[in-house]
Amino acid sequence: MTDPARWLRARHDLAGPWPKRSTALQLGNGWLLILQAWLLARIIELASFHQAGLADVRGLLFTLLGLYPLRALLAWGGDLAAHRGAAEAKSRLRMDLARHLFALGPLRLGGQSSGGLAPALVDGIEAMEPYFARFLPAMAFTALLPLSILLLVLPLDWISGLTLLLTAPLIPFFMILVGKGAERLNQRQWRRLARLSARALEALQGLATLKLLGAARAESEVLRRLSEDYRRATLEVLRVAFLSSLALEFFATASIALVAVGIGFRLLWGQMAFLDGLFILLLAPEFYLPLRTLGGHYHARMEAIGAAERLLEVFALSPPAPPAAPAPVPDLRASPLRLQGVYFAYAPGRPALAGLDLEIQPRQRLALIGPSGAGKSTLFHLLLGFAGPDAGRILVADTPLPALDPAAWRRHTAWLPQNPRLFAGSLRENLCLGLERPSAPAGSEPIDDGALWRALDQAQARDFVAALPGGLDSRVGERGSGLSGGQIQRLALARAFLRDAPLVLLDEPTASLDPDNETRVQAAIDALARGRTLVVIAHRLDTLEHADRILLMDQGRIRAAGDHQALMADPLYRHLLEAFGK
Amino acid sequence: MSELIRLLGLARPYAGWLALGVFASLVTLLANVTLMALSGWFIAAMALAGVTGASLNYFTPAALIRACAILRTGGRYGERLATHDAILRLLSHLRLWTFERLEPLAPAGLMAQRGGDLLSRIGADIDTLDEFYLRVLVPVLTALFAVALIGLALWTFDAGLALLLVSLLVLGGVLIPALGRLGARRAVHDQVRQAARLRALAVEGLQGMAELLALGGERRLLERLETTQATLARAQRRGAAVAAGSRAALGLSAQLAVWFALWLAIPLVRDGGLAPPELSMVALLSLAAFEAVTPLPAAFESWDRTLTAARRVFGLTDRPLPVPPPTGPSPIPGDNGIRIRDLAFRYAPDAPWVFEGLDLDIPAGLRLGIRGPSGCGKSTLAHLLLRFHDPDRGHIELGGHDLRRYHGEDLYRRITLVSQQTRLFTGTLGDNLRLARPEATPEELAAACRAARLEAFIDALPEGYDTWIGEAGLRLSGGQMRRLTVARALLREAPVLILDEPTEGLDALTERDLLDALGALPRDRTLILIAHRRVMPAWLDTVLDLEDPPLRRGRPESPGS
Repeated sequence: MTDPARWLRARHDLAGPWPKRSTALQLGNGWLLILQAWLLARIIELASFHQAGLADVRGLLFTLLGLYPLRALLAWGGDLAAHRGAAEAKSRLRMDLARHLFALGPLRLGGQSSGGLAPALVDGIEAMEPYFARFLPAMAFTALLPLSILLLVLPLDWISGLTLLLTAPLIPFFMILVGKGAERLNQRQWRRLARLSARALEALQGLATLKLLGAARAESEVLRRLSEDYRRATLEVLRVAFLSSLALEFFATASIALVAVGIGFRLLWGQMAFLDGLFILLLAPEFYLPLRTLGGHYHARMEAIGAAERLLEVFALSPPAPPAAPAPVPDLRASPLRLQGVYFAYAPGRPALAGLDLEIQPRQRLALIGPSGAGKSTLFHLLLGFAGPDAGRILVADTPLPALDPAAWRRHTAWLPQNPRLFAGSLRENLCLGLERPSAPAGSEPIDDGALWRALDQAQARDFVAALPGGLDSRVGERGSGLSGGQIQRLALARAFLRDAPLVLLDEPTASLDPDNETRVQAAIDALARGRTLVVIAHRLDTLEHADRILLMDQGRIRAAGDHQALMADPLYRHLLEAFGK
Repeated sequence: MSELIRLLGLARPYAGWLALGVFASLVTLLANVTLMALSGWFIAAMALAGVTGASLNYFTPAALIRACAILRTGGRYGERLATHDAILRLLSHLRLWTFERLEPLAPAGLMAQRGGDLLSRIGADIDTLDEFYLRVLVPVLTALFAVALIGLALWTFDAGLALLLVSLLVLGGVLIPALGRLGARRAVHDQVRQAARLRALAVEGLQGMAELLALGGERRLLERLETTQATLARAQRRGAAVAAGSRAALGLSAQLAVWFALWLAIPLVRDGGLAPPELSMVALLSLAAFEAVTPLPAAFESWDRTLTAARRVFGLTDRPLPVPPPTGPSPIPGDNGIRIRDLAFRYAPDAPWVFEGLDLDIPAGLRLGIRGPSGCGKSTLAHLLLRFHDPDRGHIELGGHDLRRYHGEDLYRRITLVSQQTRLFTGTLGDNLRLARPEATPEELAAACRAARLEAFIDALPEGYDTWIGEAGLRLSGGQMRRLTVARALLREAPVLILDEPTEGLDALTERDLLDALGALPRDRTLILIAHRRVMPAWLDTVLDLEDPPLRRGRPESPGS
């Protein structure tokens, strides 16, 4: 796997020109700071050694005052430019990730929980902000401003210049030296902390269970012990980790002290001018400041690397390349769909489909039955083109599925999962989802109300939609809140009627609907099946009896095929039917 | 304000550590201010001595300057260790404190009005609270002491200079960040809202990915993601502009402090009120003093965050106890029969009655099914039996004694529950089982798993009971998870076992298997099976229908009807 730090470095361009602009503004501000230090030194020199009064230094004082707003403006602009760069980088990264996820599809992401991916898409990307906003612009600045100061100081007082020159590289050197070791220890500590937090959270959320098991008190003891162990171990690590800040602080502060004392003696011996001495003393802290700030941002870098590691797990998966010249989608109303030796495994050695041969004739009603884990849902996902089989072929007429454009192929299918979902938005948007012309802007609906109502009618959904106060424009929320399960089923059916696809893939609902809903859903399914190819994962005896052909699936293979009567000879089939009867 | 006092109260046991942190941080800060001011004075005095030829004791100041450098270095190290030690102790204390406060409330006292998950944020909230000590309390106290000490030190030279510096420190460190916070309030509010929208959209898109792709709706979702992200970015930019303005203004205050110090001090030098080297000292002191207030803008931001988190945490821990604990010791029950008389219950005084005069006897050893549509009160009855709530009228007896006389742990030893809310924990199979009985022998574990039809599965695993089941048991299938919770409940050996919808969400085959396993349990305990199914397993002795209101009074029927 790629090194996350290198991966991150390769993405610096995502922030566009903004980090460079930010560095330039900060550098401008730094140069004005040098000018300001000189003016300050000059004013103090005049007042201390040449008995100058306010009137004598008025010009210098007001020049100094004039610099301030300019510097504030540059500092503000530098910060904003840095933020802007981070915003662009985040936005590009996030859209790249989102597109990548959708290109991978649900099947290839099977190993990743959606509970982990959504935070990666939102908070994982946000965690990149400090890296792009602070660390990146600071890197160039840290090299440039101290260099400018050094070039000024060296000709004025080579001893001070040398002190700065010699100590400056020591700071990053020590930071890296101590930091590398501490980083490894630190990352281990972070992981331990994350585990401890997770454990505490789990205990809190599972309080009721722990209480019922009489384990709550013991758990609080465990938490106390774990926290204490963690604290001890962490402090051990921190004692070493903080040595880096000790070294940093020591070299920065001690060399300022060294410069100050050295200047003092050279002034006493008349070897240099007071103006130069004070000027250098004023610049010395500013010389170290960027180095120290960068040290502070090192943490931002570590956090971004941590977040990048998570993203890399996803980016490491590669989506299939879409066909360069997609073949036209054959007419499924006239030609069969064939699966030849289809093999698919989510993890090596654990196949979900283990060599499946199947031919689906046009306008056939095919029922699938089998215990959970038999591969029924995987078969649907492969038919929808979410992934290609690991071995074997899926042929539409005589065209292999991967030669078709996936989106175009899916327009010829209608899929009804067990618990269909409505997406946040209006009912109309939900019905028309995916039916917009590719070139039309989002929000323009190509389907007129008449067609929508017709589809709702066919799906037995007209009555309740008409009764909604907002009609077609009613808002439906996450998981279709406000509507019953049966109503959502019927809306999904209306969606399928609108698509008018020749191939319908239906996973029958298992959750018990009330009798009225059940009859209506069933009637709508029958209407939908007319003139189309229907493949249904059956959970009801009725469905099996009405199928042209039944496939009994087990362990990724077809165990038996035939009609209901023929299959009754199979003990697994009888066992499954018994369970359906409940 | 009350949250502030309570947060301080929670830190009381660690006040010494925090004070040490503040002290070390103050030493670090003042060492630097002294170093800079003294250096300014030193080089000016040396230059003056060089020009005039006057003698000067340069050993003491030169040594002091070096001492300051060492003091700052050591101070920084000490500060970091002391504050981190304090924070780690505090964080552990906060976690345990919350856990122990919430324990008596769970679960009825922690239920949200509309069933939301009140505990979903608590982990993050507790982790946020430590910011209060690390980013608010320590820097604010340090700044307070530092500003006071620097002001006093400058006062010995000139009162006007001291007042000027202190006012500019307050302006840059307190007033400007406060104003900035006010100015950014809208932006911060928008950021939170837009981030929540983005999160919701991400969750919707990822959970619904298969359907979106199948429907061809992914382009639309990506467009919406992009526009929402752009709105969030705009709000963030507004917030960033204000924050950057605050920082720039803080820098400006530091520069103005030096400028005004010169303005005041230059005439003083002429008058002889200030010695010439003291002018350099004043200028460098003013500049260095601003290090004291630099962390304050960040402290303001942290304070907002921790206040919100503290409100949520205290809002939970302050909830009233759902049932009052008994005063005396728990009674010894005669047998394990349950008697319900004239039970009336509703969730709130204005809510509809769930039960109104239910009478029910569940003799020890009975296998009782309870069925009815969702919302009819099946689970409520289970919760009443476990005394998550008390009845509004009537009473429930276990073994001839009112439930209200049993302490929680004694009651749970006799009645236990497996429901969809029953959780598994990160760890191994064995860890999860032993939660119910830490001293369980391998034979006892095997027996419980055999009874729950889990033994064959575990025996087939290479690591057996040491198999890691992942976060909340997610590496197991739904059926395996449910059977594991049943096995764990069996290990409790409670005389009354309540199973609330144990097969919900399982496929038909797994469901049947689990129900068969339950039916095959030895008849040495009361078993109450709650389900919304029309057909109940035949091995039940009695089925109670909670279908419609008259039946809520409890009318046992024959099984399977």
